[in-house]
Order: sequence, then C-alpha cells, then structure tokens
Amino acid sequence: MNRSEILKTVNEVFIDILDDESLVLTEETSANDVEDWDSLNHIQIVVAVEKQFKIRFTSQEILSWKTVGEMISSISSKTL
Amino acid sequence: MEQTINYIYNKIEAINPIHSKKLKKNIAFFDERYDKLADAFFKKYIQILQLQNKTLDYAIDCYLQMIADVNSETIEFLRTGKYTSSTFEEVNQRVYARPETMEYYMHGLIMSQFLWKHHYQMLDYFINTLPGYRNKTKSYLEIGVGHGLYLSKALEILDDKTTLTAVDISRTSIALAKSFINDDRIAYNLENIYDYNNGEKFDFITLGEVLEHVENPLQLLLKIYGLLSDNGVLFFTTPTNAPAIDHIYLFNNVNEIQAIIKAAGFEIESERSFLSEEVSPEKAEKFKIAILYGAFVKKAKITQ
Ligand SMILES: C[S@@+](CC[C@H](N)C(=O)[O-])C[C@H]1O[C@@H](n2cnc3c(N)ncnc32)[C@H](O)[C@@H]1O
Repeated sequence: MNRSEILKTVNEVFIDILDDESLVLTEETSANDVEDWDSLNHIQIVVAVEKQFKIRFTSQEILSWKTVGEMISSISSKTL
Repeated sequence: MEQTINYIYNKIEAINPIHSKKLKKNIAFFDERYDKLADAFFKKYIQILQLQNKTLDYAIDCYLQMIADVNSETIEFLRTGKYTSSTFEEVNQRVYARPETMEYYMHGLIMSQFLWKHHYQMLDYFINTLPGYRNKTKSYLEIGVGHGLYLSKALEILDDKTTLTAVDISRTSIALAKSFINDDRIAYNLENIYDYNNGEKFDFITLGEVLEHVENPLQLLLKIYGLLSDNGVLFFTTPTNAPAIDHIYLFNNVNEIQAIIKAAGFEIESERSFLSEEVSPEKAEKFKIAILYGAFVKKAKITQ
C-alpha cells in the first residue's frame, strides 16, 4: 500500500469514529484542525486503525504523532 | 476560584491539548453548586499541598500521569476486551504497595473529582442524598477511603456524635486522607477490608470505586452485609468498562452491577448512572464508554 492509499483508509476510519462524512484529511492535518479529535476519539481511532491494518502500534508511536502524516509513516513501516 | 480552574485548564492545554478538549466539554455541566464546592475544595487542597511543600503544578502533573495510565489501559482494553490485571496480588504489587505510583494516582484522582463531569455528578448525588440518612446514622464506615474527599463531606453532613471509621489497604491513601481531613474523630485502619473485623456493626457504609478492585465483588458485598446493622444503608459506586492500572473486575454494563447487589441480599433505595463522556447512548455502547454507577441500598426484607 502506498501512502495515498493508506491516507484514504485512515480517512474512512476517522469518518466512522468522528461521525463526520465531510471530513477530508491530508498528511498535514493535526488535532488542532479537527474539532472532534479529542482524547476519547484519538484512542478509538488508534485501535480502529490497528484493526483495519492488522498492526500494533507501540505507546511511543501513539504519543509521538503530531499529524496524520506521521501516523501514516508508522502504518507504512509496519505494512511493508 | 475561576482563576484556579482556569490555571489548571491552561496548564493542561499546554501539556496535553487533546485531553484538554475533553475537559472543556465538561464545563457546560458545571453549575453554581459546582462553583461553590470546587472553590472550597481547591482552597483547602492548595493549603494541604503547601504544607507538604508541593504546588498545584505538582497535582496537575499527577493528574496527567494518571490520564496517561488510563489511556494506555484503554487502548489495551479496546484491543483485548479485558482489563490488564486480573488478580488482587498483581494490583497490590503494582499499585497499592508502591508509594510512588499511589501518590500520583490519589492526587490525580482527587483532581478528577472536580475535572470530570461524572465524578462531580456522583459527589453531588452523595452530598445531596446523605443528609436524608443523618438521623439514623450513629456509626459510619468508609471502605477504600483513598484521597478522603467523600469522608470529609460525610464529616460535614453527619451528626457530631456519629463515630467515623475509615479502612484502606494503602499506606499512601491513609496518609493523604489524614492530611486532607485532619480530624481526631476518625479512626483510621490500614488494612485489607477482608481482614477488618472488630465486631462492630455500622449504620452507614460508603464504598466508593472499590468493587472493581476485587476479584470477587459478590464476596465483598457479602462481607459488607455482615458489617452493616439491620437497618443500615450502603452507598457504593463502581464503573462499567473503565480500564485502569488497578481495576481487575470488569462490569460490562449496569445490569451486571444491579444483579450482584440483589444476589448479595440488598435492595436499591435510589440509584444513578453517569456517562463518563458526552456521547449518544449508541456511541457509548459502540465505544464501550465507562458509566459510573452509584446507589444507596439496604438489606432486602425477606418476604415469605
Ligand atoms: C479508586 S480508589 C477510590 C477512592 C475514593 N473512595 C473514591 O471514590 O474516589 C480505591 C481505594 O480502595 C483501596 N482498596 C483497594 N482494595 C482494597 C481492599 N481490599 N481493602 C481496603 N482498601 C482497598 C485502595 O487502596 C484505594 O485507596
């Protein structure tokens, strides 16, 4: 999977968790740009993304992401 | 007062902006009663911190440390559907018997009483309901007293002549409750509740967020049944789906809690359920959002 395919799937997960069909993510999107991206939803997103890609993040990774792009890098390194 | 709360929010926003979004949603629920209660609390709490050469910043750090624990436990819970610990010995080693952990945990927990909507709502329910039992309560016991906030309120509400007893398994909890309350009327016992028995029966027992800490909650309720006088009342709280470093018994829903109460021979006088996040019931179920359940119960009359 390339980065833009991963972004597309991640976007679908966000739409499902945040209940917002109109949400369009880019690699630069951060929690500041998405009102409902709070701690509760963050955790739900993390676990839903793990299930979707059949991967496990480490707690360091989860804490380190500042943008969607950084999350994609973590996913990409595990789905090679 | 507003100053203190704003200071806390700003500090949390700077350190953990994602968590701060959640906290801000809670503000809408805080009414005038909250302002009065929180005001009195923070005044007293800051004084106690100062006596120990600590600051409000220390308490905020403790709170955020507790949040970090809750977050990693929640991720594990959503992955596996289970709490990470399952035996009392595990959590005793991991938490109660470790002063470093217990210290930040109890300071974090006492802060959460005024930062989390459901914690405040439960405290408010307790404070408003306990006066109805004032006349009947000559002896009062709190099990798992923790930071001591509930006991401090009972002390204010109950009659001056009521005897007050507290039991907790953690040295750190007892020390914190003592410093928070500082009143000779209370007899403190550093003990596992299962080992506690001096033959006395109590008219009122409080058990705040302890049932989920034992391997067999029914067994604990039966023990409490034995400690309660015939017309005595138990106030207890416990959450569903609430992963934490020291939770071992998982209640999946409120029905399971009510069933266990009945099985132990109690009947419910009044009860409340508070969702820990502001979401729709559907979303709460899908996301397994914690519900804090609390009830005043008494021994069921045997009808035959
Ligand atoms: C989560 S805290 C609850 C504090 C407070 N009651 C409240 O509602 O916020 C749980 C407390 O119960 C104590 N505890 C846990 N298991 C216990 C046991 N078997 N006997 C006595 N205390 C226990 C812990 O040490 C801790 O202080």
